[in-house]
Amino acid sequence: MSDEPSVEIFGVEHVKASRTPVYLGMILFLISEAFLFGSLFATYYYLRAETKVWPPAGVHLDTWLASINTFILLVSSGTIWWAGRAIRKGKESSLGIGLGLTIFLGVTFLGITLYEWTHVTFRPWTNAYGSTFYTLTGFHALHVFAGVILMVSMLTRTLRHRFSSSNFLPIEVSSLYWHYVDFIWILVFTTIFIIT
Amino acid sequence: MNKILKIFSLGVIRGLLAGLAGAGAGIGITMLVRHAIGLPAWNPGPVTTIGIFTGVITYLVVLGAFNYWFRWAIGAEPKEAEPPKRSWTRYFNLDTNHKIIGVQYLVTALTFLPFAVALQLVGRLDLSKLVSPLNATTYESIISDHGLLMLFIVVLPAFSGLMNYLIPLLIGARDMAFPRLNALSYWLIPPAGLLTAFSLLVGGFDTGWTLYPPLSASFEYIGMNFILIGIFLSGLSSILGAINFLTTIFKMRAPGMGPFRMPVFVWSTLATTALTLTFTQFIGMSFLMVLFQRVLGMGFFNPQMGGQVLLYQYLFWFYSHPAVYVFVLLGLGIISDTIPVFARKPLFGYKAVAISSIGIAAGGTIVFAHHMFAAGIPAFLKIPFMVTTLLVAVPTGVKVFAWVATMWLGKLRITTAFLFVLSAIVTFLIGGLTGVPLGIVPVDLYLHDTYFVVGHFHATLFGGFLLPLMAAIYFWFPKVSGRMLSEKMGKMQWLLMTVGTTLLILPMLGLGIEGMRRRVFDYSLTLGFRPLHIATAVGGFLIFAGLVILAYNMITSARRGAPAGPNPWNSMILAWQVSSPPPEENFAEIPRVVGNPFGYGVEGSVHAIMSTETKEEIKNE
Repeated sequence: MSDEPSVEIFGVEHVKASRTPVYLGMILFLISEAFLFGSLFATYYYLRAETKVWPPAGVHLDTWLASINTFILLVSSGTIWWAGRAIRKGKESSLGIGLGLTIFLGVTFLGITLYEWTHVTFRPWTNAYGSTFYTLTGFHALHVFAGVILMVSMLTRTLRHRFSSSNFLPIEVSSLYWHYVDFIWILVFTTIFIIT
Repeated sequence: MNKILKIFSLGVIRGLLAGLAGAGAGIGITMLVRHAIGLPAWNPGPVTTIGIFTGVITYLVVLGAFNYWFRWAIGAEPKEAEPPKRSWTRYFNLDTNHKIIGVQYLVTALTFLPFAVALQLVGRLDLSKLVSPLNATTYESIISDHGLLMLFIVVLPAFSGLMNYLIPLLIGARDMAFPRLNALSYWLIPPAGLLTAFSLLVGGFDTGWTLYPPLSASFEYIGMNFILIGIFLSGLSSILGAINFLTTIFKMRAPGMGPFRMPVFVWSTLATTALTLTFTQFIGMSFLMVLFQRVLGMGFFNPQMGGQVLLYQYLFWFYSHPAVYVFVLLGLGIISDTIPVFARKPLFGYKAVAISSIGIAAGGTIVFAHHMFAAGIPAFLKIPFMVTTLLVAVPTGVKVFAWVATMWLGKLRITTAFLFVLSAIVTFLIGGLTGVPLGIVPVDLYLHDTYFVVGHFHATLFGGFLLPLMAAIYFWFPKVSGRMLSEKMGKMQWLLMTVGTTLLILPMLGLGIEGMRRRVFDYSLTLGFRPLHIATAVGGFLIFAGLVILAYNMITSARRGAPAGPNPWNSMILAWQVSSPPPEENFAEIPRVVGNPFGYGVEGSVHAIMSTETKEEIKNE
């Protein structure tokens, strides 16, 4: 990280992005979120350990569709990384393109998730499995949704020329969040679709 | 007429009215949608739940909590902030100054405190069988609401208030790291408090403060939904607060303020907020799961659907045991910081005391299952959890030892704040010592769910929260208001509250050993429990009387009390080196910290070098 360019905070000081209070605040927030998802995973695995047949009879999940979703999110991590690298070099238009692609991929992910929810054979109120399935994927989707809104606001600011090679901290912090949500999806995907 | 209209210019009034309107709109729209898709339009559970959420969001939007972020997100030019005016209306509007927010928190907590105490006094009257105004469900609702109000609307916000006011002043910062987030976390508390209090009017909830399913999932009235959302909001507020405090302490310390030059209160804040940051998510999620089960018919805790009742208890105690340390650690920090000032000696074993806060917090995270010894958990879990529970007594013992050793041969000044600290230590010691037998599996099986547990818990919270809070109020009121509280009234209050605390706690412990169950509405007179119940009730009333004196003292002293000057206690801590009340941005020039904050009586000991300007100011006053 030694070649990391610095950002301006309070309009005067030049600090490395990862040393700013906002960056630390986001990391603390993500630690807190780890416990939110931790409680959901704990619920899932506890119920699983205490139940004889898991998943219950009649549950069919479309692993292929979920794998495509995983691929989409992984690619979106790449696009946001590319966008962040671009603005460090001062390429505003590449930043815009990267953000636009990330938003598109995020929305596609949400669309596929919605399709999945309407096409599985169970509902949250069918059984405890349904409850954990929808809560786990639901809270993750909520985080992707929040991420999309964050990215839309970054794109709006990009279009209004708010970012430059010395002012890109919000992009750094948002992409940290985006990578984190992708990482959580890998765990959700492994838990629900792989370990059956 | 104009004056009446002016009330509406206060953010809090506008916000609450808009919140009500938002809730109404949410309920209306939900009913229309339900009608349109063929469900019965009115079903109190789901309809009011959505109404509450829309109401809270409208309230926050109208208050202006999101204005800045919204403008930022659409890339608009940032507005030039107007220079703030000194006016009482600031306390009723969204304000980002940490001192304003601190006072807002504290006043909110101190408003709910007598209400929560009074609720329990009704329950106590009923149990003492002098008058019996209650039926069983009302009794359960009242005592449950007392518990949750106290913990989540009084204790947490009161400590948040103290942290907000003090942390920047103690570490030499001009404000918190994220002032707008700070304002948002405060303004979540009023709706949380109102929902928790008003849950009584919409059917209450009869589960005790722990809200165990299946009872909480099947209780018919919507009071349960109110309480679940109210506590969720309070939890959200403390998570946001934790992010803010941790970032502030890590990033905003004055130059030279190394870890072992921070007052112990800052260490306690670190330990506390590390716990709230992480574990609060568990109680938030477990409450949401109960809400989902009630409103959407989900099946987490419903055995007929493949759910597990015990799951809730794991999730709940995984938070709620660390939470107990959240409730007391700051109180212990207040005690540690107050004793050296009044004993005129350095804090004995400062580093050990500082680190023991972290030790208590770390130990506290791995003891939670001791609440479930009687709940049918696997046998192999019991002994490890017993051992960890007993281990937590060690760092706590370090603190008590250090306090006594600090006082030893000190030049004591017996002020009200110091007296409260003494009572707090003794009470906390009772709480700690009664905790040890409760942590031992066989003893716990006998004492589980008896008044012994209630007595133990109240001893730790009186010793770790209420009495230290009183000490903090007497200690810091001069800094906040610029005027001294009346010591005469203070000592009267101290006497009432100390006697009251003793009368409240000791009979409870006795009742528990005799076999009186907690949360039980009635008992047979032949058991001989009545005198002890009456003693507990008397204790409760004495404490309430103490609170009345405090209110009177604060109101009269704020107007007519003796002027305090910048440093009435002759303390070395940064906060006391600036004027009382402190200037808008605390420090005209950021101070340079050069030494330990507790070097009382040590020749040549200096904590910090303030700017030349401030020194002149202090001399002139």
